[in-house]
Amino acid sequence: MAGGATTPAWLLESEAGAFPIGCSGRRRRGSALEKTLDGLAKVVRQAITSEETAARPGLLQSLDARAKLLSVVALLVAVGLVRHIPVLAGVYLLTLALAAASRIGLWGFVRRVWLFIPVFTGLIVAPAMFSFVTPGEVVLPLGHWFGHEVGLTRQGLTSAGLIVCRVATSISLVVLLTLTTSWPRLLSALRTLFVPRLLVLVLGMAYRYLFVLLDSISEMVIARRARTIAAGRNGRGARAAAGFSGGALFGKAHALSEEIHQAMLARGFRGEARTLERARLRALDGIWLLACLALAVLVVGGDRALGL
Amino acid sequence: MHIPDGYLSPATCAVTGAAMVPVIGTACARVKRVVKDRHAPLLALGAAYSFLVMMFNIPIPDGTTAHAVGAVLIAVLLGPWAAVVCVSVALVIQALFFGDGGVLALGANALNMAFVMPFVGYGVYRLAAGNTSLTSRRRALAAGIGGYVGLNAAALCAAIELGLQPTLFHSANGTPLYAPFHLAQTIPTMALAHLTIAGAAEFILTLGVVAYLQRANLPLLRINHPGVVDTDEELAPTRRLPALRWALIGIATMIILSPLGLLAPGGAYGEDAPIDLNPHSYGLSAIPGGLQHYNGFWKHTLLADYGFASGRHASLGYVLSAALGALAVGAAILLFVAVGRAVARRRPDVQTG
Repeated sequence: MAGGATTPAWLLESEAGAFPIGCSGRRRRGSALEKTLDGLAKVVRQAITSEETAARPGLLQSLDARAKLLSVVALLVAVGLVRHIPVLAGVYLLTLALAAASRIGLWGFVRRVWLFIPVFTGLIVAPAMFSFVTPGEVVLPLGHWFGHEVGLTRQGLTSAGLIVCRVATSISLVVLLTLTTSWPRLLSALRTLFVPRLLVLVLGMAYRYLFVLLDSISEMVIARRARTIAAGRNGRGARAAAGFSGGALFGKAHALSEEIHQAMLARGFRGEARTLERARLRALDGIWLLACLALAVLVVGGDRALGL
Repeated sequence: MHIPDGYLSPATCAVTGAAMVPVIGTACARVKRVVKDRHAPLLALGAAYSFLVMMFNIPIPDGTTAHAVGAVLIAVLLGPWAAVVCVSVALVIQALFFGDGGVLALGANALNMAFVMPFVGYGVYRLAAGNTSLTSRRRALAAGIGGYVGLNAAALCAAIELGLQPTLFHSANGTPLYAPFHLAQTIPTMALAHLTIAGAAEFILTLGVVAYLQRANLPLLRINHPGVVDTDEELAPTRRLPALRWALIGIATMIILSPLGLLAPGGAYGEDAPIDLNPHSYGLSAIPGGLQHYNGFWKHTLLADYGFASGRHASLGYVLSAALGALAVGAAILLFVAVGRAVARRRPDVQTG
């Protein structure tokens, strides 16, 4: 996130070497070990960023997690039902306003969403603009193919625009939720969506021990890199290493699960999952939820008023 | 393969989500019954493991790297029902905490990667591993093949979900409202990517981990393989019917693949109806009288031309024809075998088998 008051500087850099366990110096593209390390570092960075922004004072941070979760789901459904680009753009602008009101750096927020879009959506959607994929009224002819006019079609362009806007708005909504809610609260909020108690317990423990296992695997990868002298790539060795580290990690995970089970028994666990219930919803949360539901209905209704 | 929000219509998300509810419920109940009160930590660590395995970059022989899903690996290690819960939880963490994969699309993603993939892959693994010992090479290879097939089954499901969108959801002027590609485009694209790069990554990871555990940590493999002996020497000699089993596997594969006929263009050579024939291309002046006369000889067919009489729902008619045909042939074979056995029993002097 850009402009964070308390975020350490190394978290804000996107270069390799930003994270203490990353490599310094020039990065060798294509090395599986480096890529895995980068991915692991990114998980830790995102988790710390979320915790840090969730602790800031702001509009969304002050709301109850349950109200936020339900409102985000309602808005996601509404966004899914919308069929006009201007309506989607309006909802997207609203997410920007909410981000600003929740003291989330706007540049980082926009970047996080739009860095994802070109990689996945842009690549997938680009061919859909052509008459090969989406037949219809050709607005930009590019030539002829066996007697048929080919080019960009109105239907294809509209469809591509719709997808890009809808994906961007949906991701923005989810990112708003994750950046403003600490995970224990989000977890207990899942109970309101009728997620079984056992699953909530498993989710919480999985998230907690995810970082313990992540440390182990980072250490394994770093140790392997420290022992690797040759600069060239060794595909066979690296493939074997994936098997070793996967197997060793499973061994650690299983041993840890046994220890946790014993610790749970020692503390009186009898096979029933319990979660900490949180305080009642305040009036502000109710107002927020109602406002979001009304907005969702308004968005879908307004969209239908514009025509199907 | 993580489908983000916005590609699938809310209706598709609702249907796939509803389909996953009983699956997750059954999985929780079964795991709870098998491992008693140990289920919570085991599932939680399995889910954390599943999350991390998805982050491994596996080097592919062509020099690039790819991520594996690891659902079949967890099915081999902890059983398919545990894999359902572990992979689902990993997907929830990815969607809610890291924004990878959609929140509304969670049902669809879980259906593909947490249900279809572990069950198809585990089935293939069991079939391919057969009655081998825990340390046999064939078992490790079977796990790799299971991973490969499971991943491709999941990719096929994702391709179908995405490919149905433009057909089911479009506006009045034909603008696709969600994912814009049709089945004829999504299935080959997903198949190409997953049969090669992603499939190779899944194969390498699943085989590698199982082979490592065979050498280094056999007790971990015993968790999900009670009663399987450790080495080939301990195997009891068993009567085997390899030929019959392979024949049945081949026939089952053909039955499963029969919907591919829907994609094939044109008709079969030499099976044209007289009206579709061009007699001049064969040096004839008219349709031969015998062909003309006997062509309409039998009209009492149930599903003429592998479809309904009305000509609507062609695909459904084709699949129904294939299913009925397979059933009829199977019933005929069973009847034939039963009659043969009855006759053989009546004549005890005939040497059989």
